Amino acid sequence: MKTLLRSDELNCPSCITKIEKALGRLGGVTNAKVHFATGRIEVEHDAEQIKAEQLLSAVREVGYEARISAF
Amino acid sequence: MKFISTLSDWAHQLHSPAHRRGTVALVAGLASVGGVGSYFIGGPSWLTDTLWLTAAAVAGTDIALRAFFALRARAISIELLVTIAAVGAVFIGEYWESAAVTFLFVLGGYLEARTLARTRSALKDMLALAPTEVTVFRNGSEINVAPHEVIPGETVVVRPGGRIGVDGAILSGRSAIDESAITGEPIPAEKQVGDKVFAGTVSHNGYLEIHAEGVGADTTLARIIQRVEEAQEAKAPTQRMIERFASWYTPMIIVLAIGAYVISRDVALALTLLVIGCPGALVISTPISVIAGIGRAARDGILIKGGEYLETAGRIKAVAFDKTGTLTEGRPEVMTVTPLSGVPALPTITDEGSPRTRLLQWAALAESGSEHPLGRAVERALPKSYVGPRADSFDTAPGGGIRAGWQGRKVEIGRPDWIETRVEQWPAEAITALEDLHSRGETAAAIAVNGIVIGLLGFADRVRPDATAALQALRKAGVKRLVMLTGDHATSAWRVARELGIDEVRAGLLPEQKLEVIKTIQRESGPTAMVGDGINDAPALAAADIGIAMGAAGTDVAIESADIALMADDLGKIPEAIGLARATLNNIRQNVVIALLTVIGLLAGVFANEVHMAGGMFIHQISVLVVVVNGMRLLRARPVRERYILPAVQQPVRAA
Repeated sequence: MKTLLRSDELNCPSCITKIEKALGRLGGVTNAKVHFATGRIEVEHDAEQIKAEQLLSAVREVGYEARISAF
Repeated sequence: MKFISTLSDWAHQLHSPAHRRGTVALVAGLASVGGVGSYFIGGPSWLTDTLWLTAAAVAGTDIALRAFFALRARAISIELLVTIAAVGAVFIGEYWESAAVTFLFVLGGYLEARTLARTRSALKDMLALAPTEVTVFRNGSEINVAPHEVIPGETVVVRPGGRIGVDGAILSGRSAIDESAITGEPIPAEKQVGDKVFAGTVSHNGYLEIHAEGVGADTTLARIIQRVEEAQEAKAPTQRMIERFASWYTPMIIVLAIGAYVISRDVALALTLLVIGCPGALVISTPISVIAGIGRAARDGILIKGGEYLETAGRIKAVAFDKTGTLTEGRPEVMTVTPLSGVPALPTITDEGSPRTRLLQWAALAESGSEHPLGRAVERALPKSYVGPRADSFDTAPGGGIRAGWQGRKVEIGRPDWIETRVEQWPAEAITALEDLHSRGETAAAIAVNGIVIGLLGFADRVRPDATAALQALRKAGVKRLVMLTGDHATSAWRVARELGIDEVRAGLLPEQKLEVIKTIQRESGPTAMVGDGINDAPALAAADIGIAMGAAGTDVAIESADIALMADDLGKIPEAIGLARATLNNIRQNVVIALLTVIGLLAGVFANEVHMAGGMFIHQISVLVVVVNGMRLLRARPVRERYILPAVQQPVRAA
């Protein structure tokens, strides 16, 4: 399933790869894409294996505060 | 007690990266200033050095971590340059330089983050338009749920002053609805049973029950936000160019710095080059303008699909317009009312209306049983409050007109040549009136009562009231060539063109021919925009450099296929869109110039031995902030043309 996260704290182009790699390392995540211009983080993951809250924690660990968004 | 809880609150806050950044900047700043103070009042050098080293350590660790993560992702980042410079400065004993460079970099980063967040806020405001709660009828009672939890088909209740949380149709109630969030139109729209409403709009004064059709991500609001964000994320050509440049430029600076050291044996010089080589301002120059420009346009109901289209729209030299529905209102209206002498009044109306009104009332009576667009036009020409009698009998003569009966009278309306066969006399007055209508290119209809012709009506597709001003504004915005394209015939096309001041018309065109014309205009004049309604103009819209669709609220096709979709049905948005695009292009150019001039100035300063690491970083950060603030100007900018206010004038129905 696709979860959309939003973060207001992306302000350097290098955070893109940092967050994408951090999310990609999690078991159950098939794809993660960070959009610098809008602060959107699109994550495709297996809902059984990993929940949205865990995605948020992973992003927090590399240093960014995010929230889950419906659109 | 209070002190401890404040302290633990503060420590807790450190978990949040944004706060951490601010705290790091604060601590490093205090330590640096402390060091400076100690230096100037002649304090012991170990104190001064320790303070500066602390500042460098606090700020430097933050920067070094970022550089490390970037390296792990195989990217050479600006943070790496700064880390090398800071560490190098410590090694050669320049503690002040190290502290200043790291502190200024972190401070700059903090300020940048905050201003960038404010630029993204144009969209955040749109996101906040969806209410947090929606009232729904479920299992016989009203409950509050989140907007995306509503099931399509359910009934949503909206109280006066409330925000609408779903797309749907009104089941009961009426209200004045502020739709500015979706269409950019500030004047509330009156809506009643059967009318469509959108999520994100505000109902002013009525209690509404709404049949939910689109919910959550399936609403026009969500789709607009999605389009705008995709547009902001799509890289403009200038941006791609700059990023490619930065990707080899940054490693090259390291090489250059090493080269400078090898040649001059001056470590400080090499480190300074590292610092001023940071392309921070250049890298952010285009994205900030694009994000601000697109966000600003969205706020006014103009959806631009991407930075690329923003750049192209700023260079448009010619605009082609579809006629029907774009320059005109797309439906016939009564333009001329010519009663012949002695028009009998309808007996049911007590006050004597003017001959023109009486003629219209007879026409409305004759058309009362038909679904013909001309009948609807006659209805619109009469006051809204008028409820006329309906015909008792009703019969259509194909290609000719309508025969109606009412209270023993014969009332007929139709083509003049058909009516001529139905009446005893065709007076000279009628002949003159008919010629008059034909010369104006209007479609004529004659009305007869009991075998006597009582008057003529002239119909035409009315030019939009805002069209002339919009075209003037376009010319002022720098578009030199305006062309009308239409499948309609030349006489009606030229009637409209003359009224609007367009001197180029191609009439009688099939859709593929419209495409060919666009290509010709492109060859002759350069980048060309095409304005249409998206559905039957598709080939031409696709061929044009910019395809513009009007009145896109709710129409998925137009939002999908156009490069610029105007949410409101307002021609004035076109010059506004082009003006905004030009302003954005200028803004990008300004930013690039600022960035380049700063680097050149700093280089000159280094070689003149005036600029050192701290000063270089300071100027660099200032330049980044200047670029970001300049980009943000677009959020407030008044586009090239001034917003014109046209009184809502109904084009008067003329008497002969």
